[in-house]
Amino acid sequence: MADAPASPGGGGCGHESGGDQSPRSSVREQDRFLPIANISRIMKKALPANAKIAKDAKETVQECVSEFISFITSEASDKCQREKRKTINGDDLLWAMATLGFEDYIEPLKLYLHKYRELEGDNKVSAKGGDSSVKQDTASSHGGTQPGPISQGMGHQGSFSQGMSYLQPQ
Amino acid sequence: MRQAGAYSSMLVGGVSGRTGPHSLPLARIKRIMKRSSEDVRMISAEAPVVFSKACELLIGVLVRRAWAAAFRRKRRTLHKEDVAAAVTNTDVFDFLAQVVLQQQPK
Repeated sequence: MADAPASPGGGGCGHESGGDQSPRSSVREQDRFLPIANISRIMKKALPANAKIAKDAKETVQECVSEFISFITSEASDKCQREKRKTINGDDLLWAMATLGFEDYIEPLKLYLHKYRELEGDNKVSAKGGDSSVKQDTASSHGGTQPGPISQGMGHQGSFSQGMSYLQPQ
Repeated sequence: MRQAGAYSSMLVGGVSGRTGPHSLPLARIKRIMKRSSEDVRMISAEAPVVFSKACELLIGVLVRRAWAAAFRRKRRTLHKEDVAAAVTNTDVFDFLAQVVLQQQPK
């Protein structure tokens, strides 16, 4: 709510976004980083209860996260260009992550995405009814069309359990 | 039986209007995506959703490794040098080297 009402009808995650706002000349912090409060919350979840986090550590992680988004997006964007597509979709990002060494993330992300689609589906049906076109081109992602070595290999990454936690709300 | 009710209430009412059920605000993620290259024109609605989770996973791995570094130094407080250690000790985090190095003017 604190985020000023940017665009008309900016209800949440929106659908296709052409170029809703051109980048301002001066780069504001909120254009470059995710909110430090959210970052901090996620960091705490990964640590034991008695752990403390210095401000400089939060800021560093905040920067790392932005760098990660840019890194993956650039790779995905290159792929879209090669394939002459204009829209970067979820599968492009999964592909980019697998390519760049984050194959451990793929399974939890697919689960998350799957859950999200279910939710969206439910929501659409109950709220509006219809308008589910965006999903079509990515609907194949959990069908197993992933490139490269994304098989098991994620056994003891602690992160994997986080992926599951989305499925089990308290 | 079905838990759809619980889920959709999460999505509609939500933890906060900005993030919905996601732990990071999607609009902000989208903005960062657009900044990453001039070639980025359109972004599907699902892409920021993927990132909201992916960033969570990344932070988890990064922080746990950083915590191990802090632990070795017998500290209970995470500092940026621990994050830097986590980055330099992990191959897939090579792309973050600049970030942690420029932050460490040593």
